[in-house]
Amino acid sequence: MSDRVEAVKKLFTSKSSRIETNKGDTYYQELFVKCEARLNELRANTPANRLDFSDLLEENGIDRREFMKWASATTAMLMLPPMFTPLVADAAVMMNRAPVIWLELQDCAGNSEALLRADGPKIDEIVLDIISLEYHETLQAASGHQAEKQLEEAMEHFKGKYLLFVEGAIPMGMSGQYGTIGASGETFHDHLVRCAANAAAVVAVGSCATFGGVPAASPNPTGAVGVMDVIKNKPLINIPACPANPANMVGVILHYLLTGQVPELDSLLRPKFAFGYRIHDNCERRAHFDAGEYVEEWGDAGAQNNFCLYKMGCKGPMTFNNCSIVRYNEAVNWPIGVGRGCIGCSEPDFWDKYAYERPMADAKIKAPTGGVEKTVDEFGLGMLTAAGIGIAIHAAASAVAGKREKSGESHE
Amino acid sequence: MITRKWIERIEGEASVQFTFEHNKVSFATIAFPHFRGMEAILHARPAMDALVITPRVCGICGHSHLFAAVRAIESVYANSGFPLEISPKAEALRELTLSLELIQNHFKWLYLVIYPELSHLVQCPIADSFRLKGAYAASLATKVLAIFAGQWPHSSYMIPGGVTCDPTYVDTVRAMGLLDELIRWFEKELTGISLEEYLHLSSTKALSRLSGDMGDLDKMLRAANMHKQGFSYDRYCVLGEHGFSKPSKNINKRTTKVNAKQVTLENPYTVDEKTYAKNALYQNNPFETGPLARAIINGIPLIKHLHRSFRDSTYSRIMARSYEIALLLNHCKILLQSIRLDEPSFIEPHKKITSLSGEGVGIVEAPRGPLMHKVTLNKGIIDHYALITPTQWNLASGSPQTPGPAQKAMIGADSIEIATFTFRAFDVCSVCTTH
Repeated sequence: MSDRVEAVKKLFTSKSSRIETNKGDTYYQELFVKCEARLNELRANTPANRLDFSDLLEENGIDRREFMKWASATTAMLMLPPMFTPLVADAAVMMNRAPVIWLELQDCAGNSEALLRADGPKIDEIVLDIISLEYHETLQAASGHQAEKQLEEAMEHFKGKYLLFVEGAIPMGMSGQYGTIGASGETFHDHLVRCAANAAAVVAVGSCATFGGVPAASPNPTGAVGVMDVIKNKPLINIPACPANPANMVGVILHYLLTGQVPELDSLLRPKFAFGYRIHDNCERRAHFDAGEYVEEWGDAGAQNNFCLYKMGCKGPMTFNNCSIVRYNEAVNWPIGVGRGCIGCSEPDFWDKYAYERPMADAKIKAPTGGVEKTVDEFGLGMLTAAGIGIAIHAAASAVAGKREKSGESHE
Repeated sequence: MITRKWIERIEGEASVQFTFEHNKVSFATIAFPHFRGMEAILHARPAMDALVITPRVCGICGHSHLFAAVRAIESVYANSGFPLEISPKAEALRELTLSLELIQNHFKWLYLVIYPELSHLVQCPIADSFRLKGAYAASLATKVLAIFAGQWPHSSYMIPGGVTCDPTYVDTVRAMGLLDELIRWFEKELTGISLEEYLHLSSTKALSRLSGDMGDLDKMLRAANMHKQGFSYDRYCVLGEHGFSKPSKNINKRTTKVNAKQVTLENPYTVDEKTYAKNALYQNNPFETGPLARAIINGIPLIKHLHRSFRDSTYSRIMARSYEIALLLNHCKILLQSIRLDEPSFIEPHKKITSLSGEGVGIVEAPRGPLMHKVTLNKGIIDHYALITPTQWNLASGSPQTPGPAQKAMIGADSIEIATFTFRAFDVCSVCTTH
């Protein structure tokens, strides 16, 4: 028993599972000066669209105080010290100077729906409203040839400066004929390569764009792959989850606007500020896990009392994402809040390995693989696997502890 | 002369090929060029995986897919002699969240598709921020939805036997507060009169007198002559059973029973163009589905009155869908009030799903019409899964002899702009159409 406790302790305090939240004064001072200079540079540019942030805030009845509260929360989310708060606020106001081109490939458009303020706290939504969306296949007014012309122009005008957001997988089967673009008939693959060529960075949004997603689920009928299997020579940021959380999209754009760099990434190219924690670490039901209190069947007493869903197949312990902090739909709720376990939708292959109501013992879960080994920081991989083992030990230990308490009670 | 036009917005894209004769559209075909193979993906998986995979068919109506998948599995239970008992609370919650998904769909379609296109057509530009109104209203609706379903899009909170959530009094009060906020917004922005007054309107004249966005919509649609065109078969089909819809068909103003077994699929008709969509038919005939069909079959007074004057014109189609927002808002309010929190959320089936074999069909009314999931299970493993989505009905691409409802409605249009608007009144959802 004490071995197990030690193993768990070691696992959770090991250096590899730490996120570096403090990089020292010198680092931040330098970054601050750099960000300031960058914001001044941006200020000189003319905004790329007509929507004004301050007006929109006012229209929505949000005062300065509330906005600054949001800015400090966002600063914290981006893992920057409080002194950056005014800079984050400035960057948000200048969101309309960050040119974004948004491609929609093989998907369900769920992430565009999220972008359409389907969720995300209110100010995040306003930030999304004013980002300079130079081109968005589904939301823009133009279509067909006119849209293609717009895309060409945007790519030329913002050459080397735009962020390319990609939603959806890339079907490689049948020479790419499962997905082609409008009038030109260009395949999704060629379209992506062409649009990425002059992008400052590529952001893959949602699990389809990052890892192939549901279209890549076995038997992968269309040969779907993620963006990182196609684009190799560009800074690439993955924002997985199905759907991706708009708060994380905003975080990435803000970070880029502020620093001109991509945020610190994990082994799967996910920004650490969002994917540095496991669902399990900040889960509101965590105390029940620690106490060995589980839902054993849908609708049982455990379910009615919000017990831990681990035995119902919750993949929270294996899943890196900030849902348990940010939540969904303007922070109203999240899946575990309504008594269904996490399905691990921000992990590679969730559609085949994690699925629904299959407890982890039956879920054939192993460390993520598939096309990323070369870029993977081995530490990260090892950590995920180790975490899985650790959890199994922990679950067993806490279950034992729970039983002991019960038997103790019956003796009295 | 043949012209091809790409139609995009919201949910993927479609290609429409128009043939012109004497400066009028004489025929049009519809193609959907994207494909994922969802049915193949579902094959050989445990049945419960359908609750995670099928919502991801569509980013805007995934909740309808979840409900259809749950009903399909429950129908396998019933067909094998183990009908499930669903508590009234679970039924009400399912219907509530489904209705909210319909509401948010209707709002997005109205403000992101219809208003911008229509204002372009009648050359009366609207502000950029106007489009965002629909997103605001939709986000209020999805917030209420998320209180019970955890998130939107892509929730999986319904399960065979009930729902996973166990809401408290605090949750229902919070939901009621948000729903009231949405209703007040609707009254202020869309109608200028109270929801109750609006629901009691029974004449088209009253519609023209409205002050809000609905009044403008009426005026713009008439200015664009939309009450005199876009006629289709005037034949309707509803297959999903809910508090807001009953399965029936309506031909020549007569409403009769339907049997989902009569639904068939046929290969689409296109010329030199690939498409992954199949046409859905009832007794081998095209039928219009969706809000207009539901309103005609339910005998909603205002829509019946409108139909008497303007038949199944584009005007009627758009007004019926906008009006359904009000009907559903009211329905949600009643549902929320009816929920008894002390009832169980889930009642355990008498048979384990891992020993369940047989066939089942689950049908719900999705925003654009009936959504069918057909499943065959073998010891809890999916042997066969078939999806038939609403847009396969409305946007079917038939031959010149039997065009689909949207094709028929476009024939006779004076310009591509008008034909395209007619098409959009049916609403494109290409991700569902091909899945």
